[in-house]
Amino acid sequence: MNNYFPFTEKTRLADLIHQDYKLIPVIGRFGIKFGFGNKTVSEVCRDYNINKWFFLEIINSFHNSNYFPTEELQHFSAQTMVSYLSNTHAWYLNVKVPEIEDSINEMKRLAPNEDIKNIKLISDFFQEYKNELVIHLDEEDSKVFPYIISLEKSLEMGVFDKELIRKIQDESIEEYERNHDNLEVKLADLKNLIIKYLPPVSSYDSCQRLLIELFRLEADIENHTRIEEKVLVPKVKLLEQEIIQISGAGK
Amino acid sequence: MEQENKKIQVAVIAQQFLTRLGIKTILSVIGIEPEVLESNNFYDLKNILARQNFDFMILSEDILPLPKNISLNELTGLSKNTRLMVISDKKIENCPCSNFVLYSDNQKEVLEKFQEFFFEPENNSSVEGNENVLSEREIDILREVASGFSNKKIADKLHISINTVITHRKNITEKLGIKTIAGLTVYALINNIIDAENLKNF
Repeated sequence: MNNYFPFTEKTRLADLIHQDYKLIPVIGRFGIKFGFGNKTVSEVCRDYNINKWFFLEIINSFHNSNYFPTEELQHFSAQTMVSYLSNTHAWYLNVKVPEIEDSINEMKRLAPNEDIKNIKLISDFFQEYKNELVIHLDEEDSKVFPYIISLEKSLEMGVFDKELIRKIQDESIEEYERNHDNLEVKLADLKNLIIKYLPPVSSYDSCQRLLIELFRLEADIENHTRIEEKVLVPKVKLLEQEIIQISGAGK
Repeated sequence: MEQENKKIQVAVIAQQFLTRLGIKTILSVIGIEPEVLESNNFYDLKNILARQNFDFMILSEDILPLPKNISLNELTGLSKNTRLMVISDKKIENCPCSNFVLYSDNQKEVLEKFQEFFFEPENNSSVEGNENVLSEREIDILREVASGFSNKKIADKLHISINTVITHRKNITEKLGIKTIAGLTVYALINNIIDAENLKNF
């Protein structure tokens, strides 16, 4: 079977996970629990009241970096998308980051005196990365996402206030696209520092675990970023265009 | 953040518009934002190569006059430091090119070849000196970078031009595989190139 073939509503959810275990946290973020037997994507989505078009877009974009979303964008609301993305943010901060911090603390706890200095450097570096991550996610949660919701509300109610139109014209989602920070560079540096330059530490097991978790976080954020760029941004552009058209502001 | 944002120069040469468009699409898929020059015939290309240098050249065999290996030789003679990739039905024998995308390659293979072509260093083009060890001069530069000094300050302090500083920094980053200043600082601290006390704000 061709690995690049997209998953469809008829795909069994279990098959999907067997084919790509990296989708496990994604399914978790939709609130889906295991024990779904041989149910298809469509059936599970119905059970959990999830928009299946949206689910498929996320799963496919996550699984295959070459996947381009198509007209399915019309089938789900921005609200659906934003709540999934905020869930993902929360998962990074409440699950993933603490896991990594646990590994680092474990390393600190087991380290003899001569290792402490270097482990502390790694720890400080990660804290710095974490601070930037928090700022970036906060910015999206508190500014970008509410903006997107307000676009959709405004269309539903048919009311277009001047401030919103100004925002579309001056600070449209394209701006945000350009500002999409490159947090990955810092994470890549941290990995290399550990792999190549950190002198051997006595808590080798925790160090291995730390490294694996960094790789996983990196892969997840990479996919998440791609989803924001390929699913969220195009959808928002559609909303923006629609508002400009209906309100006549483009003339 | 980085000081030099010079775009890489890529020449895309194929008879058909569709082929050229496909090549450009793949470039954007693998995250390359080059300055692209397009051409659809051999003789135009030769004129262009006489005037302009490219980092990469992606060429469809359909523009090569026979015998193909000789015409390829002619092109590489005109563009000494350009990396070349040829798209064709099979490898062309006795020619200077070692990167081939074949008509029979599937999506995954094509993407991998492009990625390798752009991101893997050529075997014989290592950075000056030993590939992995920093030179003394590079350590001097690293010490200043890690201590938080700007390129301009470093240039003044070590009596060299800003361009030289930038070149050293590029080589340091390439050798170490570390791109951010914070990362370089950690490296310098781990290796006792700088002292934690000398740092202003780490």
